[in-house]
Amino acid sequence: MACFKRASPALVAILNKLDSAEKPTDTDHNLYEFGSVRYHVQASASDPEIIYLSISTPPLSPEVLLRNGLPDCTLQDIRRGYCDIADIVEPPKEGFVLTLRLDFAKLPHSREDRIKAISKISSLQAVILSSQLKDMLWNLGSQDMAYGMCKPIKLVYHPREPFFVIRMPEKLKAIFPMRFKDNSDVILATSLFQELMDMGHSAAFTKAPRCTWSPIPPPELRGEPFEYLTTNGGFVSFDILSHHVKGAKVDRTVWILLNFYAHVKYYVKCTRGFIQIKMRQRLESLVEVMQNARIRGGGDDKKLQNPGCKRVKKWMSFSKSKILKRRCSAIANQIKRMRARIRIKGLDRFRRKWFRVPKFPSLKKYTKLE
Amino acid sequence: MANTLRLYLTCIRNTLEAAMCLQNFPCQEVERHNKPEVELKTSPELLLNPVLICRNEAEKCLIETSINSIRISMKVKQADELENILAKKFLRFLSMRAEAFQVLRRKPVQGYDISFLITNYHCEDMHKHKLIDFIVQFMEDIDKEISELKLSVNTRGRLVATEFLKQFI
Repeated sequence: MACFKRASPALVAILNKLDSAEKPTDTDHNLYEFGSVRYHVQASASDPEIIYLSISTPPLSPEVLLRNGLPDCTLQDIRRGYCDIADIVEPPKEGFVLTLRLDFAKLPHSREDRIKAISKISSLQAVILSSQLKDMLWNLGSQDMAYGMCKPIKLVYHPREPFFVIRMPEKLKAIFPMRFKDNSDVILATSLFQELMDMGHSAAFTKAPRCTWSPIPPPELRGEPFEYLTTNGGFVSFDILSHHVKGAKVDRTVWILLNFYAHVKYYVKCTRGFIQIKMRQRLESLVEVMQNARIRGGGDDKKLQNPGCKRVKKWMSFSKSKILKRRCSAIANQIKRMRARIRIKGLDRFRRKWFRVPKFPSLKKYTKLE
Repeated sequence: MANTLRLYLTCIRNTLEAAMCLQNFPCQEVERHNKPEVELKTSPELLLNPVLICRNEAEKCLIETSINSIRISMKVKQADELENILAKKFLRFLSMRAEAFQVLRRKPVQGYDISFLITNYHCEDMHKHKLIDFIVQFMEDIDKEISELKLSVNTRGRLVATEFLKQFI
């Protein structure tokens, strides 16, 4: 998932529009995000301050969560977070896991605070996911405990990118199997993982979770289906200790873990772009050397240096003297036209028709002998 | 510049200076055709012995000469996986823009990373010594660019890793 911000940008835009609308109208928005998250925003013109926001999001781990609706802990978290502006509607609308009744009249009056509150509402999905993960981490049943270690829980934040969380006696371990489409992406990402490992072991980051990367599956994943253990980018694991999930830090830690894949993919994408820019710069310098080698100057081949925006280049390349010259010639042409003989449209045709010079047959003309 | 690299490049420069004495020569097989003999290799009498200059196993340069054309193929150093993909990316990028260089071959000779084809027409259009300068600078720049890119990628990785871990603190 390529959105690091908690708030959904599309939802923020819709809610801001509803908030700032001068004329109340009936609104019914259905929007999908990342293919699996669905929002429904409903407002009526008769009561514009009340907005119903419904959300449908796949569970983080279908093995642990309840089949119908959200778990109580998540609902409590939502109640706690949105008590001042929203109420949970029971039961939620059909096809959704949660429906909130937003009262925009309760929003703060200052514009900045209103925007903040709307962005808080828009981060509903992040709240649900974080709450689910928090709940899973702290309320794991002990029935799966074997050799002081719980069975790994598979979390599916993105359908194609599951990751595992394992509860151990003193820590939690998050293991991310890394898969990439392109081999070059694997190498770029591997360099990041190496740096993560090195930085994690440095003195400056003793408080950060220890990060390890290995090309083979870690022993904790023994017994998991083969499809989860085959990767081309190896396995990255983070050791989460108790101080990483204490108090307010828990939300941040959970959100970082959920977005680790997105971070890595974004890094790879940006690095590819960076390499492309560098290569383009070097190409330009090399082409310049080639142009200098030409005997008759490189004027006609300059277009090869940068083939983009030809029209703009042409326009920009006009010097002031050239423009002035063109203007002068245009004025001179106009004067010439003014001083020229008066032309009457159709006169030529008229002259040809009425004042035609008779044609005499040529004396040299060939005559066919009979 | 490292001493070994300077020697390697000087050797290539000297060989190119000696080899680049090209002249117009029509094709012996097809009438009214003028083809680079180094590519066709139909008449052995028009070809000179190829020269292979090696800095080490991974870095080498093959100079094939004929009466009307010369082909220069290079193998670029690729010490690790990162250098390997960077070299591949960069050389592919250049090959796709071969028209900007005129003398660059779109496809390298087998076993090499990049190839140039210089014909007698190029020698007529361009200064010979500057053409040789270009080839030598190209080799220098490729090495430099790949080393710089590798450093930059690692530095970026370190910065991103630092920022990522900072979030936990």
